[in-house]
Amino acid sequence: MSDFLFDRLYSGLNNVLDIRSQQHALSATNLANAETPGYKARFIPFDQVLENAVMSTDSMAMNRSESAHFVGTGAVSNPEVEEIEAPPWVENGNSVFAEREMARLTSNSMVYGALTRGISTRLSILRYAASDGKS
Amino acid sequence: MDILDTLNIAGSGLSAQRLRLQTIASNMANARTTRTEDGTPYQRRVPIFETLEIDPFGSDVERNIAQVEVSSVETIEDYVEVYDPAHPDADADGFVSFPDINILEEMVDMMTTSRTYESNLKVVDLTREMAMKAIELGR
Repeated sequence: MSDFLFDRLYSGLNNVLDIRSQQHALSATNLANAETPGYKARFIPFDQVLENAVMSTDSMAMNRSESAHFVGTGAVSNPEVEEIEAPPWVENGNSVFAEREMARLTSNSMVYGALTRGISTRLSILRYAASDGKS
Repeated sequence: MDILDTLNIAGSGLSAQRLRLQTIASNMANARTTRTEDGTPYQRRVPIFETLEIDPFGSDVERNIAQVEVSSVETIEDYVEVYDPAHPDADADGFVSFPDINILEEMVDMMTTSRTYESNLKVVDLTREMAMKAIELGR
């Protein structure tokens, strides 16, 4: 894929889109297993994902022209999954809390919508340029 | 892992909760049943939920997504003895064995079942929404 047309922003957006849909599957798993004894709620810690992206030194990482700028985000493909321990008062050892999971699910799909919007905008900019500015 | 996996997970949750509702209905309907086919009182049924891994050899995320399945429905052999000598099924001392079913407990179970069912439906809704957004990429 050409770096010229599809730059780091585009591939970065795609990458996060992927991770968001994985988080969606994890939330679906948690809600399906909300009554399974001993089941531990699972999620992708996004602060960890961000940290890994900032710390990553692979070729996808962006360079800074100004030290005050944020460090560019590299690609993170295989995020780690964390489990939530059940609090001691839960009899069956299940750590899924429906409210928390619904909140995570809803905010996750909102971010997913924002990402698809971002990719669409990116593509429409390219299309605008490719059609000589005649939208 | 794709969007169908997520729908299947939510689907497994829906069918597990539906089966649970059926056992609850059966328990409530048979709360006073003293005669079953083998002559004993009805025994309370409890569905056993287990996680069902989809892809045990995938990435960290793929290993962690799982469906839910009802591995078995177990019966609990527990009776309540009630003194009622006039009952046709009373023993020599006048006690009748009724199934140990607490209607209030079943009602609470029924409410959590319907909440969990709703949350799984919500997952189906959101998954469909997200899939539509992905389809409309670049429009």
